[in-house]
Amino acid sequence: MTIAESSVRPGSRPRILVIHEDTTGNDLRVREIPYSASAVPTGERSDSTLDNWLQANKRCPCGPRKAAEEELACKVEELARSNRELEQFAFVASHDLQEPLRMVAAYTQLLAEKYRGQLDANADRYIDYAREGAMRMQTLIQDLLAFSRVAREGTPARSIDSNLALDVALENLRCPIAETGAVIRRGQLPSVLAERSLLAQVFQNLIGNAIKFRRESPPTIDVQATTTEKSWMFSVSDNGVGIEHEHSDRVFDVFQRLHTRAEYPGNGIGLAICKRIIERFGGKIWVESQLGEGSTFKFTLPADSIEKGGACR
Amino acid sequence: MTKTPRVLLIDDNPADVSLIGEASAGGKYQTKFQNFTDGEKAISHLRTIGQNAEAAKPDLVILDLNLPRMNGKNVLAFLKTDRELRGIPVVVFSSSQSHWEISHCYELGANCYVRKTGDLDGFVSAIRSIEEFWFGTASLPEEG
Repeated sequence: MTIAESSVRPGSRPRILVIHEDTTGNDLRVREIPYSASAVPTGERSDSTLDNWLQANKRCPCGPRKAAEEELACKVEELARSNRELEQFAFVASHDLQEPLRMVAAYTQLLAEKYRGQLDANADRYIDYAREGAMRMQTLIQDLLAFSRVAREGTPARSIDSNLALDVALENLRCPIAETGAVIRRGQLPSVLAERSLLAQVFQNLIGNAIKFRRESPPTIDVQATTTEKSWMFSVSDNGVGIEHEHSDRVFDVFQRLHTRAEYPGNGIGLAICKRIIERFGGKIWVESQLGEGSTFKFTLPADSIEKGGACR
Repeated sequence: MTKTPRVLLIDDNPADVSLIGEASAGGKYQTKFQNFTDGEKAISHLRTIGQNAEAAKPDLVILDLNLPRMNGKNVLAFLKTDRELRGIPVVVFSSSQSHWEISHCYELGANCYVRKTGDLDGFVSAIRSIEEFWFGTASLPEEG
């Protein structure tokens, strides 16, 4: 509770304002105490009117609101720490897991090469399973490292030309584009607050998916951006296999796949990385799609005329 | 190089040591490997060589970074500051992909950094390339 006392000009009536919590303890109210000359606390002198009023309205400094605020701050700090630890864990685990896994992968391959046909057919099959498992785990670890790197590394957001980011992505995808005869249509893209290599990765993952999950016909992919009030909304549309509505959130989770590895290769990390990058720059990403009708991935990024405040880390 | 190249291999992982041997055995050089599993032992061995002009220096050192007690970079720093030993080429052979770590090795005087790859083919070809370059293409100090 705070008592604000303004200085009193001669001849004017002093006003005493009390800022206090409301009855729920969740909000603050400002209230004026009825003035009487004797009610104004001067120096050490106290007055029963004010004392009584204060007593009646007294709340513990750690009242419900304050306690709730402290608890919230505590939880936020706890969450931040737990996130940091998780990042650290993901990095250290994947980094240190690589070393013993390298042994398993190399020696199962050596077994397969040197001893194929010298044991029985079952043994050859078991060795192949072990080898494939080790190799798949290596790619999973590489992907997990790439995913954790998005949060740990990189420069802060700054104004970048998203056309250049798209150029990088298309250059990296030159082979699959040529092989599938994909047609890419691109509109004029804006400057946004992001980081070029990370935005290029988002484009590359989305367009790469559009090519990978194509139907019989050559993929047609359309990259556009429209402005909203404070941000830009990008869309990457394709004429591919599409996604059932019920999976439209799950596809952005780490290692979530909607198809078997035999149908489409990959670990299911690409969209999770996209989501992480877009959210890092204060944007959102989602998909609008129907099975068999193609997909449109949309994401927002802050326009570069907006101050970075809060939106970007 | 017609003679048998001598390599001092400082690596504590027996699986890697064996793999390096396998990779080399299938190649065209009859490389002789002497293995030390920790940095301190390797250093004390190299010190004896350094003090004894008659003792045969290795043609090449292949050095892992992640070693017990004295790590690979300390071993590298010692080798490259020792007057007798700094002429021996040192190949750092490690699985680390850290740019910082790789740069640091070169700053300490590594003659090259080769990454231990996860796949067998990459690993074997790395060892054979090291042999081909240092024992085939390059001229070594002892040969003059």
